[in-house]
Amino acid sequence: MNEPLTPGISAIQQDRQVCLVCNMDSSISENPEICPCCHSDIAPRIKRSQQKTWALLITAMIFIIPANVYPITYLLKNSTLYPDTIYSGLITLIRNDQEGIALIVFIASILVPIFKILALAFIALTVHFRWQLNPKKQFIAFSIVEWVGRWSILDLFVISIMVAVFDKGSLVSVYPGIAATSFTIVVITTLFAAESFDTRLIWDSNNNAK
Amino acid sequence: MDTIICNHCDMVSTRPILRSGQVAKCPRCHRAFFKTNTLKANKMFALAITALILIIPAFTFPLMSIHLLGITEGANLLQGALMMIEGAPVVTFVILFCAVLVPTLLTLCIAYSSASIMLGKRPPLLGYVLKLTSSLIHWSMLDVYLISLLVSAVKITSDADVYFSSGLCFFVVLLIVNITLISEYSSTKYWKYLRNE
Repeated sequence: MNEPLTPGISAIQQDRQVCLVCNMDSSISENPEICPCCHSDIAPRIKRSQQKTWALLITAMIFIIPANVYPITYLLKNSTLYPDTIYSGLITLIRNDQEGIALIVFIASILVPIFKILALAFIALTVHFRWQLNPKKQFIAFSIVEWVGRWSILDLFVISIMVAVFDKGSLVSVYPGIAATSFTIVVITTLFAAESFDTRLIWDSNNNAK
Repeated sequence: MDTIICNHCDMVSTRPILRSGQVAKCPRCHRAFFKTNTLKANKMFALAITALILIIPAFTFPLMSIHLLGITEGANLLQGALMMIEGAPVVTFVILFCAVLVPTLLTLCIAYSSASIMLGKRPPLLGYVLKLTSSLIHWSMLDVYLISLLVSAVKITSDADVYFSSGLCFFVVLLIVNITLISEYSSTKYWKYLRNE
């Protein structure tokens, strides 16, 4: 039913598109909007992928500031409220000789979000300005962002466990702060930014890629 | 000639014939296309049912408890998320979504689709279930939760004594089953079945 495709060339040049939901390929000209197999929306490239990625990235860039400045948890001890930001929490961990945990928390809640935003922004800029960098290396960077992204949710889980454990006890209790919500927004927007970025654009923007 | 299109870099390549244990990868971006030896539908169904049974104790039994000045307090996964609903509803929603809702829905979806193959039926809902599975599969974060538990346990040791409770055993087994389900799930296989190929 279909003409055979030539291996080694992008499918878009041969009037073919892959559905990201069901993995079936179909003709671009015959199925401009809907996948003939699973009836999902289909396009040869994710629609407005770059705009979506930038919108989400900019949101993340804005919310990363309150996430780091404001207290992420409050500790209520002897009826005094002790606020804790991401940094002060880290310093407490180091003071208590828990360097290993401090390292995990540092990677998950400071390094990973910043790295994700910078790496995604850099790849998006490379695609936009057609900087002709090695597409394979860009894709490796993207894969790291994609894989590492989910681990920044670690800090939120830790907060929820701390809140549950130090509950009811009149002696010590833990409450989430404003930064917890900001940090959640950073994590979610960067995850969606990576999801909405179409990696095929990396090869499209490269003149040497076939 | 049978060809395959990479959905990460859009390159067309010849579909290879794999011997058992091999994985087909895109020659341009090296992402995996498909592998042989994915679990049969009946085994997937058995695993999904196991996960569904484990979900109840894993989410409701206390995962760990602390001992502070004569008071012992336990904490389970649901409680941990729900207690913040007033102070930080967004955080609660995200935690519930990634640690409770997605793993449960995903298991239900896989149970449904593997049962359909097992019974040889193509119910009209199957297409929707497969679509739901493909959008949920990246959002299951039980592995991150386990590491979070360890991080919080170490954090708490400076203030109180920490004990791991019965729920943790269920949780660890659930995590293993959940990871097996996700890595063995091959969406192409189920879509092919639905198209009757």
